[in-house]
Amino acid sequence: MSTINFANREINFKIVYYGPGLSGKTTNLKWIYGKIPEGRKGEMISLATEDERTLFFDFLPLDLGEVKGFKTRFHLYTVPGQVFYNASRKLILRGVDGIVFVADSAPNRLRANAESMRNMRENLAEYGLKVEDLPVVLQVNKRDLPDALPVEMVRAVVDPEGRFPVFEAVATEGQGVVETLKEVSRLVLARVGSTT
Amino acid sequence: MVEPSLVLYGALYERALGLLEDTLRETGARYALLTDRKGFVLAHKEALWAPKPPPLDSLATLVAGNAAATQALAKLLGETSFQELVHQGERVGLYVDEAGEHALLVLVFDQSAPLGKVKLYGKRAAEGLARIAEEALAKPSRPNLDTEYREGAKALLDQLFGN
Repeated sequence: MSTINFANREINFKIVYYGPGLSGKTTNLKWIYGKIPEGRKGEMISLATEDERTLFFDFLPLDLGEVKGFKTRFHLYTVPGQVFYNASRKLILRGVDGIVFVADSAPNRLRANAESMRNMRENLAEYGLKVEDLPVVLQVNKRDLPDALPVEMVRAVVDPEGRFPVFEAVATEGQGVVETLKEVSRLVLARVGSTT
Repeated sequence: MVEPSLVLYGALYERALGLLEDTLRETGARYALLTDRKGFVLAHKEALWAPKPPPLDSLATLVAGNAAATQALAKLLGETSFQELVHQGERVGLYVDEAGEHALLVLVFDQSAPLGKVKLYGKRAAEGLARIAEEALAKPSRPNLDTEYREGAKALLDQLFGN
């Protein structure tokens, strides 16, 4: 769970963007990177292939500032979405505090959404975690596609019980990106101290 | 396995810092870091003569990612893990060793530091840090982070991104 460094009076949280290949996880992070003022963000690291598909992870450190004397920081990660990169995807989930699941609105990616959610459950289970135990926010991305499926249909496939908060997004234009991050941050923060 | 929190503070933190400082002196390395396996920096020291280090967040994240990948490789090959990793460039090198189950020792060194010394004293420091990490785990005290903290953090979020 969250890493607390008393000496430096720092609290760190790890948030992971999960989802099928090409659903827009890296695009989310890039938008956030562009949005945060200098001084509040570190360097963004992308381990990607030449055609900019994420190979290992993207990483963005975000400084929230000081709260009650504790410097609060979020480390944002994305996973590679492609099915055959599961080994690295699993590594990145290690010690996660909150998850944003980025689902694709395209009709031909509906099954990929479901598959990715199933895969996430399996990977979390290897760390002894259940999706239900973690703050998870569902982002239904690419709402600008002309043939985008209804949000409810996408949701029914990845979150049939309607457990997670849902945000519609067009990550390329920044729509819904910040709202999603704020919500997952709130959920993560809400758990601080409540476990004592 | 749920990842445990490593909470380093007070006397334990001072001991970790002391060890890192000794190691810098003994090896002639530029920077010494103790990070957890998630890629968060727990403690760090820089040699006074060394140039400004690269962003430590980036360094720690990449080292942790690398160590995780290497560990997965070791498992594929029937080992539990590879204990130490050395990356050697033309001028600068990187030494990473396990400091117990949950932390990593990272040393960044250049030509002025003999690799033999880095490995010898690095290994010894890693053992000392492993004991510190073990004790830090054994005392999982948490700060008193109450509603006030949460409200404060929320307010900052709103400030950062607009409401």
